[in-house]
Amino acid sequence: MNIRKTPILVSSIKQKDNHTFSIVWSDGAVKDYRLSELQKRCPCANCVDESTGKRILNDANVNADVRAVKIVSIGRYALRIQFTSGCSTGIYGYDMLYQL
Amino acid sequence: MPLKMFSEERKKEQPRVKHIIAVAAGKGGVGKSTVTANLARALHWLGFTVGVMDTDIYGPSIRKMLPESQLPAQNGQAISPALCQGISVISMAFFRKESESSAVRAPIANSIITQFIKNVAWGNLDYLLIDFPPGTGDIQLTLSQQANLTGAILVTTPQEVAVMDVRKAMHLFDLVQVPIVGIVENMSYYLNPQTKEKVHLFGQSGGERLARDSGVPFLGGIPIDASLCKSGDTGVSIFDEANIESKESAEHFLRLARQIVAHVEALTTSSKDCLKGFELIWQEMK
Repeated sequence: MNIRKTPILVSSIKQKDNHTFSIVWSDGAVKDYRLSELQKRCPCANCVDESTGKRILNDANVNADVRAVKIVSIGRYALRIQFTSGCSTGIYGYDMLYQL
Repeated sequence: MPLKMFSEERKKEQPRVKHIIAVAAGKGGVGKSTVTANLARALHWLGFTVGVMDTDIYGPSIRKMLPESQLPAQNGQAISPALCQGISVISMAFFRKESESSAVRAPIANSIITQFIKNVAWGNLDYLLIDFPPGTGDIQLTLSQQANLTGAILVTTPQEVAVMDVRKAMHLFDLVQVPIVGIVENMSYYLNPQTKEKVHLFGQSGGERLARDSGVPFLGGIPIDASLCKSGDTGVSIFDEANIESKESAEHFLRLARQIVAHVEALTTSSKDCLKGFELIWQEMK
C-alpha cells in the first residue's frame, strides 16, 4: 500500500555556488543538488519519451557548467528549474529529490 | 476596589471544523459524489466526525447516496445540516423536489453556495468534505476563495480524456494556492469474478501517471464494483454489516481514508515551518 505518512516539504532553499543549490528538508535533512546532475534526470517531455519512458537526452550532451535562471516551487510537492540550456518544463518531485 | 466575586465569564467555545477538504475533478461523471459519500462513511467508520457539503446546485446526488434520518432545519440565519448515517449533510437537494431542476443563473447559485459556507452550523467536525460541481467556473472559484480549504482531493478515471480535465482543476487549485492532498483514481479496473483478473476497461494508470507528472501523491484506485453502484442508488452503506457484497469496496475506501488522514495531518502540522511557495532567482557568485 502506498502510505506516505509524512509528505516531505522544503523548509529552506538557497544557492550554494554557481552550479549547486541546497535544500533543508522538513525532517531536517540537508542536501546539495548540482544542476548538471539534475538536468540529466530531467523528466520533461523533451528529455523523456512520454510513451516509452525512454530517455531522449543523452547525458554526454549535458554541459557540466549548466546553471539555472530560476527555481520555482510547484504547489507543495515539486520544483521547476529553468536551466540556462533552455530546458525549463521538467517537474522535480520532492520525493525524487529527497531520495537522490 | 472590591474584588470580583467570579473570574470573567468563560468565553463560549466556538465550534470548529478542523479540516475542510474539496473533492473535485473539473469533469463530470468520474464519481466525485460516490467518492465523497463513501469517503465520508469511511472516515466516520474510523471514528471521525464528518460533514458533507454538496455544492452541485444543478445536479445534487449526495442526498440519494446518503439518505437522511433528520432533515435540515433553519433557525434565523443558521441552517442545521441534515443527519445521514451519523454524517452531517447539506445539499440543494433538500430544498428542491428530486425531479425539479434548479434553473438559476450563476449569481443565484453563487449566493446559495455562500449561504452554505457561511450559515450552516456544522458544530465540531474533524472533516468537512465539499463535493465540488464539475468544471472550473464561478462556484469552484467561490469555494476556493471562501471555504478556507485545507486541501483538495482530485478524482479522475484512468482515461486521458478525464485526466485532461482534472489537470484543469489542478491548475485552478494552484492558482488559488489550495494544496492538493492527492489524486484518487475511480473506476480503476474491473475484477473478473471468475478469473480474478483485473480488466482495465478505461485504460491503465491514468491517475498514477498524472500524480507522478504533477508531483502530487497518488492516494489509490477504486475498482468498478456493482455493489458500490447499488449502494449509491439505495443509500445502503457499504459499511453496513449486512451488506456483505460491498466488503471489498469498503476496504478500498478505508485504505483511501487512512491515506487521506495521514496526508491531511501531515499537511497541517508539517506545513507550519515550511515554505508555501518560493522562487529562487539564480545569482552570479564569485
